[in-house]
Amino acid sequence: MLTESEILRYSRHLLLEDVGEIGQQKLKNAKVLIIGMGGLGSPAAMYLAAAGVGTLVIADFDQLEVSNLQRQIGYQTADTGSDKVKLMKQRLNSINPEIIVRCINRKMDAEQLSLELMMVNLVLDCTDNMHSRHLINAACVQAKASLIVGAAMRFEGQLIFFDHNQSDAACYHCLFPKSEEQVLNCSNSGVIGPVVGTIGTMQALEAIKYILGLPSGIKNRLKLFDGKTLDWQTFTVTKDPNCSVCGQKK
Amino acid sequence: MNVIVNGNIFEIAPNSRIEGLLKSLDKPLNGSALAVNGEIISRTKWAEYRLCEGDNISLFQAIAGG
Repeated sequence: MLTESEILRYSRHLLLEDVGEIGQQKLKNAKVLIIGMGGLGSPAAMYLAAAGVGTLVIADFDQLEVSNLQRQIGYQTADTGSDKVKLMKQRLNSINPEIIVRCINRKMDAEQLSLELMMVNLVLDCTDNMHSRHLINAACVQAKASLIVGAAMRFEGQLIFFDHNQSDAACYHCLFPKSEEQVLNCSNSGVIGPVVGTIGTMQALEAIKYILGLPSGIKNRLKLFDGKTLDWQTFTVTKDPNCSVCGQKK
Repeated sequence: MNVIVNGNIFEIAPNSRIEGLLKSLDKPLNGSALAVNGEIISRTKWAEYRLCEGDNISLFQAIAGG
């Protein structure tokens, strides 16, 4: 049952046939882990908090730097030097005091990650490096945790959903096999703020749809966003039976 | 035969495999993914996958930023 203040707060959701009171209750019961509180994670977390996702677990071990503020619009200049997760928890609770926000303020290893995955319905990968992305992917495959991956750099974005609950789910390693090669990230290549914000916002949209039980347009489908033309390209990703992370031959 | 690579027409030998195409492209493949006609072909299949006339190939890199 929603309280009177929740009915007022979520009135624009309650008007939607796809949400309604039942959907809002699903959002309230949901627990989402968001890893990375940068340009992807901060808008994703803010939208999910505003939408009434009942429990948000936010993970990051960085302190806010002035160079983050060009794109990470959830933060203030006066807060540089403070822990991002503490700042974001305050921000999320000021957006919506009706939800629970828990912080993880350290680098998680595979073991801690697998414990955290047991306590949530959904994971958003909003990290900024390949090592974390492969660690999160492997843990989600093992825990059969649903994973929405976003990434952005320069004027480009990438978005995909792996529903590891389902046996036909591909994984991040099927798409981009782990390698020691240097890949592109925001600190070595730069990024334009609204592109990373768009991808983080799409991760929040897909998270809400997943919680509501609506079909996803990005399940096993990689979306590439071009911030210059505003075109989206779609590619189907099939589970690789030879994948060393999710395949039969692992 | 001709294939399209990231929007550009490219001539390759008939029955070429993906691996052969990539060798002739001579591009760095750091963390790259490749799609043929909208379907990602996993790296473990690049050596055996035969391309066809007119195939539309997209080659792009993983991005890690966020």
